[in-house]
Amino acid sequence: MSLLDQQPNSKPYWRSLDELADKPAFQDWMSREFPTAASELPDNLSRRRWLQLMGASLSLGGIAGCRWEAEEIAPFTVRPQNRTPGEKQYFSTMWELNGVARPLTVTSIDGRPIKIEGNKQHSASRGATSAFDQALILSMYDPDRSTGLVERVRKELVPRTWDEFDRVLKRRLATHANRNGSGLALIKEPSSSPTQLRLLEAFARKFPNAIVCEVNAGDDGSQAALKNVFEVDGRIALDVSKAKVIACFDADPFGKHPDSLRIVRDWSDRREPDGDWMNRLYCFESNLSLTGSNADHRVPTKSSDVLSMLQQLERAIAADEASDPGDDAPGGQRVLAALAEDLLKHRGESILIAGSQQPAAVHELVLRINHRLENFGSTLNAVASEKSQSVGVAKLLGAIAAKKVETLVVLDANPAFGTQYSPAFVSAMKTVPFSLHVGTHRDETARLCRWHVPMAHVLESWMDGRSFDGTVTVGQPLIDPLFAGRSVSELLAGMLGLKAEPRELIRETLTSLDGRFRNDKQWRRAIHDGFASGLGVPEEANLGDAQAATTGAPFAGSVQPRPPAEVEVVLSLSGATHDGRLANNGWLQETPDAISKLTWGNAAVMSPATAKSLGVSHGQVVRIEANGRSVDLPAFELPGVAKNSVQLALGYGRTAAGHVGGLVDEGIDPVGVDVSVLLPEDGSRVLTNVTLTPTGEKRDLATTQDHFAIDAAGLEAIGARIGELIRTGTLSEYEEHPDFAQHRGPHHPPLESLWEEKSYDGHAWGMAVDLNRCIGCNACMVACQSENNVPIVGKDQVLGGREMHWIRMDRYFSGDPEEPEVAHQPVACHHCENAPCEQVCPVAATVHSDEGLNDMVYNRCIGTRYCANNCPYKVRRFNFLDYNAPLEEPQNELVQLVINPEVTVRSRGVMEKCTYCVQRIQDVKIDAKNERRSITDGEVQTACQTACPAQAIVFGDLNDSESQVAKRHADNRAYGMLSELNTKPRTKYLAKVRNPHPWLEVERHDDHGHGGVNEEQTHAAVSPQKSQPAADLLPISGGGH
Amino acid sequence: MASFSIPASDVDNTIIDPTNRPGVMTGDNSLASITEQVSALAESDKTSRAWKIAFTISVSATLMLFALIGYLIVTGVGVWGNNAPVFWGWPIVNFVFWVGIGHAGTLISAILFLFRQNWRTSINRFAEAMTIFAVTCAGIFPAIHIGRVWFVYWLAPVPNSLAMWPNFRSPLLWDVFAVTAYATVSGLFWYLGMLPDLATLRDRATTKVRRIAYGIAALGWSGSSRQWRLFEKAYLLLAALATPLVLSVHTIVSFDFATSQIPGWHTTIFPPYFVAGAVFSGFAMVITLMAPARKFFGLQNLVTLRHLENMCKVVLATGSMVGYAYAIEFFIAWYGGNQYEQFAFINRALGPYSWAYWTMVSCNVLAPQLFWFKKVRTTPWMMVVICIFVNIGMWFERFVITVTSLSRDFLPSSWGYFVPTPVDVLMFIGSFGLFFTLFLLFCRFLPMVAMAEVKSVMPHGEDH
Repeated sequence: MSLLDQQPNSKPYWRSLDELADKPAFQDWMSREFPTAASELPDNLSRRRWLQLMGASLSLGGIAGCRWEAEEIAPFTVRPQNRTPGEKQYFSTMWELNGVARPLTVTSIDGRPIKIEGNKQHSASRGATSAFDQALILSMYDPDRSTGLVERVRKELVPRTWDEFDRVLKRRLATHANRNGSGLALIKEPSSSPTQLRLLEAFARKFPNAIVCEVNAGDDGSQAALKNVFEVDGRIALDVSKAKVIACFDADPFGKHPDSLRIVRDWSDRREPDGDWMNRLYCFESNLSLTGSNADHRVPTKSSDVLSMLQQLERAIAADEASDPGDDAPGGQRVLAALAEDLLKHRGESILIAGSQQPAAVHELVLRINHRLENFGSTLNAVASEKSQSVGVAKLLGAIAAKKVETLVVLDANPAFGTQYSPAFVSAMKTVPFSLHVGTHRDETARLCRWHVPMAHVLESWMDGRSFDGTVTVGQPLIDPLFAGRSVSELLAGMLGLKAEPRELIRETLTSLDGRFRNDKQWRRAIHDGFASGLGVPEEANLGDAQAATTGAPFAGSVQPRPPAEVEVVLSLSGATHDGRLANNGWLQETPDAISKLTWGNAAVMSPATAKSLGVSHGQVVRIEANGRSVDLPAFELPGVAKNSVQLALGYGRTAAGHVGGLVDEGIDPVGVDVSVLLPEDGSRVLTNVTLTPTGEKRDLATTQDHFAIDAAGLEAIGARIGELIRTGTLSEYEEHPDFAQHRGPHHPPLESLWEEKSYDGHAWGMAVDLNRCIGCNACMVACQSENNVPIVGKDQVLGGREMHWIRMDRYFSGDPEEPEVAHQPVACHHCENAPCEQVCPVAATVHSDEGLNDMVYNRCIGTRYCANNCPYKVRRFNFLDYNAPLEEPQNELVQLVINPEVTVRSRGVMEKCTYCVQRIQDVKIDAKNERRSITDGEVQTACQTACPAQAIVFGDLNDSESQVAKRHADNRAYGMLSELNTKPRTKYLAKVRNPHPWLEVERHDDHGHGGVNEEQTHAAVSPQKSQPAADLLPISGGGH
Repeated sequence: MASFSIPASDVDNTIIDPTNRPGVMTGDNSLASITEQVSALAESDKTSRAWKIAFTISVSATLMLFALIGYLIVTGVGVWGNNAPVFWGWPIVNFVFWVGIGHAGTLISAILFLFRQNWRTSINRFAEAMTIFAVTCAGIFPAIHIGRVWFVYWLAPVPNSLAMWPNFRSPLLWDVFAVTAYATVSGLFWYLGMLPDLATLRDRATTKVRRIAYGIAALGWSGSSRQWRLFEKAYLLLAALATPLVLSVHTIVSFDFATSQIPGWHTTIFPPYFVAGAVFSGFAMVITLMAPARKFFGLQNLVTLRHLENMCKVVLATGSMVGYAYAIEFFIAWYGGNQYEQFAFINRALGPYSWAYWTMVSCNVLAPQLFWFKKVRTTPWMMVVICIFVNIGMWFERFVITVTSLSRDFLPSSWGYFVPTPVDVLMFIGSFGLFFTLFLLFCRFLPMVAMAEVKSVMPHGEDH
C-alpha cells in the first residue's frame, strides 16, 4: 500500500470520513486507488477504442522516453547546522552482539553512513573493531532487508501498514492483558540494554503470566559455573594486562570472546620485548583457534580431554610443586608441567580461561584453579550482571505443545535456524495461532510466522547497552530507517502502550540510572561520547567465603581421559557468520578464515593424521552422523587440529538469509552446510558418539592460500623461506642479540640502483607492522574492504584465485604438521622505493608520487598485468571481470550507498592495490593546510591501522625522525621483506619474538632460518620421534591436500 | 606448353658426391615448365575437394576465434583461466609460440640469402608466407590480452591529448616496436620478392578478374633490366634489414621475461635461447607444412629431399642448442646460489607442472635427436611426426616458462595453480584456424614457389 502510510510515529491521518468509519465503499475505493493486482482497464471496451488508447499510450510513452528524466535538485536554502556538503562527520553509536554492547564511531558523508570505526574513548574498544563491527555497514545496506510489513493470509503475503499492525497487536494484547498475560509468549535475544530491561520489567508487570524466553547462540558456560561455584549472578571480566601467564583451555579469547578487542589490546601491549615483562600464552585446544595460533605453547588436545587435563593441573597446583618431566615425556605432559611451574611462580598474575563449548564442569574447575592461584581481584573479576527473567526454550516449547501459547512474538531472533531446538521450534510454530516476527530480514523464523514487521537496523535506531565491562553505552541513529522499521525497544514500548519517542525511551532509562541526565548538556555529552561516563560500571560481585570451594579436595569425581582413538566432533561459532546472522554479508563470507583461509562455506576441519585414519583427503566429502542425524561436509586437512577431533563451524547453511547467504525459495543455494542439526538436546557442542564415513564425493574448497596440494619440493622451499619472510626469535635470543632479525635475512653484495633515486623533501610515508602484536584476526582486511570499495568476487572467483583484498593475511605453519607453530603476516602494497611494478608498465599507469607513494592511476591502466607479475609481494589485484556490475543491478541499488565516495570504484580490466589510504592522507593534508599547520604524527591513520585491535600497524611520515613509524623502522627488529631484491619497501615488519618456557625452548641451529630437513609432509602420521633436531622451521602445507 | 615430368617417387639427391653433384631440384624442368608448374596451381579453375574441406574447417575455426574475441571484449579477460599469481596465461604462451614460428621464413629468405644458400629458393616463398601468417596470429594475442582492449593504442607513442608518452623503460613497449617492425619488414620482403611472380601470373591471366587483381598486385612490373637491377638491390637491402630483426624480435620478446624479476624469468641466457628456440620451432613448422604440401601440390621436383634434409639438420642443431640452454639454466640456478632461482627450476622439474616440463624436454630435446639418422631425415612422414612433436614441445616450452614461473614465485602464500578454461583452448584452436585459412588462400591464389628465384639457380639458368 501507499508508502505514505508507513511513516513511523506519524499522526494517523484519514483520507475521508468513510475511512474513519472503515466502510466497504472506502475499501473498494482503496483497492482501485492502490491496487495490488487490480485491473487498470475499463470494462466493455470496443476494439476501436482499445486501439486508440494503445496508440496514444505508445506515442506518448515514446515522447516521454525521448527526454532525460527530470530530476529535482533542491539545494539547502539554509544549510543545516554543522553540515558541509562532502565533509565527513563522525558519530558515536553502538550495536549488540551476544548481548554485549560494542561501541562504534561511524563516518557519515552527506548524511550517509559509510564506514565504521571503533570508539576511541570507550574502554571496550579504544578505537579498535572486529571484522564483524566493520562489516555491519554492509548489512545495513543489504538489499535483502525486508522493506515492509507483511501478513500471511492463506499462504498469500499481504502488505500491511504500521497502523494496521498497531491495531491488530493492540487488540491481541488487550485480550492477553485481561488474562494477566496468559497465552502470550515473547522470544528475544539476550540484551544488555537497560532500556530493554526496564521495558521487560514493565512487560512482566503488565503480563505477569506471559512467557519471556531468551535464545542465545553465544552461550558461555562461565556464567553457569560462576553461579555454581560462587552462587553469584555475573560474568568473568578478564584483565589480561596484569597476567604474566595466560592459559586457555579450548578457549579463544582473541577470536570469539565478547570482550576480545580489549583482551587483544592488553595482550599485545605486553608483547613488547623491550617492556618490563612479556606475557606467556599457553593453549590446550582441539581446534587451531586464533588464540592458539598466537600461543607460545600450544598442545592440541581433544575437547573431551580438557577436563582430565585440568584435573591433572589442579592436582599439581594443589600439591604446589612442578618439575620438568624431561625430554621423554609426551609433548602435552611437558607443557602442562611447565604451565604448572609458571602458574605457581606467578600467583595472582595469571589467568586460566575455559572455552564456551566446554561443559560447566570445566568452567567450574577453571574458576577454582583461578581462585586457588589468587587471580580473582587481580587478573580477573566476577562482574555482577542483571538476573535474566527468561525461561528456557524447552519450557516455551512445552507451553506451545500444551496449546497454552496463543500469541508468540519473536523480537529480533531467529530460533528456527541453527540451534539444537530449531527443528522442534519449526514444528511447534505451526500450531501457534498468532505469531509475529520482528527482524531486519524475512529469515527462517519470519517465514513461519503469520506477521513479519521490519526492524530498524542498529545504525537506524536509538539504542543503549552495556559493554562487557558494564559501561553504559549509548547508540544514536545515523540515518532515518530506510524501510520504516522500528527498533526492539520501540516495539516493546508499543506493546506496553507507551507513546514515548525512541530517543526519549533511552533518555528516560539513563535518567532513571542517574539523575544528571535530566540536564540537556549531560545527555548530549553522553550521545556525543557514545557512552555515559562514570555510569554503571557494575560492582564487583562478592564471591563471599569461597575458601570452601577451592581449598578442599581437588575436584570431586575422577574423570578418565577418553580413549584416544575415539573421534569427537566439536561445533563452534563461525568466524565469518557468527551463528549465521551475518551469513548474508558478502564481505564476511569472502574474508578467509583466520587459520584455514577458507571462504564461502564450512568444512569438516581435521588434522592430516585424522584424515588419513578416516580415509579421506582434502575436499572429499565425509558423512558425519550423531544423534540420529547426519550432515555431509568436505574434509579440510588443517595442521594443528587435535588428532581425532573434527571441527565444524555453525552458522552456515542458511536457507532464508538472502541472495548472498542462501535463499532456497529463489533458488539460491545456501552457503555451506547447517551442522546445527547434529546438536544434541542439551546443546552440548562437543559430540563424542559420532560416526564418520567418506562418501566418495568431492567438493571444492575456496581457500585464499594453498589453493592446491603442495608437493614435497614446494614444502622444502617454503621451509627454506619462511625464516626469512617471517623472522622469529625467542625472548632470550632477543635479549642476547637484539638485532637477531637482521641476521635472519640472506647475505648479498651491496645493492645498487639502476636509476637515480628520488629524494623527498616533504613527506615520505611509510608503514611498520609489528608481527609480535599481530594476531591475524582479519579486522584490517574488512576495514580495508569497507574503506576502499574492494569488491566481493564470489566463491567461483575465489576458487579461481581472483580474490581482491588489498591487504591479505598470510599464514604459515612450521614444525610438526600435527603440532605446528603458526605465524601471521599481513601483506599489503609495500610502496617500494624501487618499485618493480613501475618499471614494467608500458603506459606508466603506476608511478611514484613525490611523497613516496606508489600510485596507481586507474584511468591510465590498460590492464597488461605485467606489474602484478613483477611484484614480488603479489599484492596487486586485477579486475578480471566487472566485479562491481552487481551494484548496478536495480535490485542492488541500495548497496551502492556503502561506497566510499572518496575512493574510485574500479572498472573491469584495471589493476588495483593498496594505496596507503591516500584519500585519508589527502584529507589530513587539506585540513592541515587550511589551518596553516603541519601534520602531527599519528594524524594520518590508514583504515587497517585504525581497525587493528592489537595496534600492530603504524603509519606515518618517515621524514619525521620522531614519528612512531620512523622509530619502528629504526628498531632492531625491523626488516624489509625480500629487501635483497633492492625493492626498498616502505612497509617494514618487526620480527616476532616468542616467549617460550625455558624448559621448552628449542635450540636454534643456525641464524638463517633454513629449515634444511624436510620432514614427511602432511600425510605423515604423527611422528613419535618429533624431536627432529633442526625442526624449528619445517614447512607443512596449509591443508592443501 | 612446355613439358616436364614430376618424378613418381622422391629422387634421393641428398648424397653429395663431389664428382657428380646432384642438383638441388630434380626432374627435367625447363625455365618454362617451372612457370607452368607453379602458375598452374594458382590458375587452376578447379578447386580440389580436399582444399575445400580444409578451408571450411579453417574458416569455421577462424570465425570461432573472432566470436570468442567478441565475447572476451564484452565480458573481460576473466573468461580465461588467468588468476593471481598467474596473471599471464595461454594468450601470452600462444603469442610467443606464434612469434617463434614466425622466425623461419625471414631466416630462410634473409639470412640464407645473405649467406648465398641457393637451396633456399624453392622454399623461401612458402616459409615467408608462413612467417607472416604466424606473426598475424601472434599479433592478435597481446592486443586482446590487455584488460581494456579499447585503449590498446596507448601502447603506441602517438601524440595525444593526455600529453602522455608510453613508459620507455617497459619491455612490453619494446615488444610492441619489435613485433610491429618485424611484421612490417617481413611483409614487405615477402611482397617485394613476389612481384616478378605476380607479374607472371598477370601476364598469363585468362580472365579479367585475375588480370586486374594480379595486375594491381604486380605494381606494374615489366621485367625490364632496370627494374631487375632495382629489384635485386632492394631485395638485398631488405634482406640486410630483416636479418638483425630475425635476431632482435625474439630477443626482445625474451626481454619481457628476462628483465622482470620473477625467478625463472630473470635470466641472461634468454635472448640466445629464445632465438634458437624460435628458429627451431619455425623450421619444424615449415617441415610440418611443406612435407605434405609438396606432395599434395606435386612439387617434389622443386622442393626435394635435399631441402627437407637441410631443414631437418637445422632442426637438429637448434634443438640441441635449446637442450643445452635447458641444461645450462639448471646449472646457473644451482651455481648462482639464489634460493628462489634454484627453486624455480626444481619446481619446473618436480613441481605440480613437471608433466609440462617433461613433455617439453622429450619433445624438444629427445625427439629431434632422431634426426641423427639419415633415414629419418629423408623420410617425409617421419620428419613430419617429429616436427609435430617439436611444435608441441615448443608450445610447452613457453607454457613452462610463463605459467610455471609465475605460479610459484617469492611468497609461498601467493602460490597458485593455473587451469585453462574452454575459452583458452578454443582460442588457441581458433588461432590455428586463422593461420590455416590464410595459408590455404596463399596456396590457392599465389605462387607458392618463387619462380624467378628458382630459375636463377637451375642448371639452365647457369647456362645463360
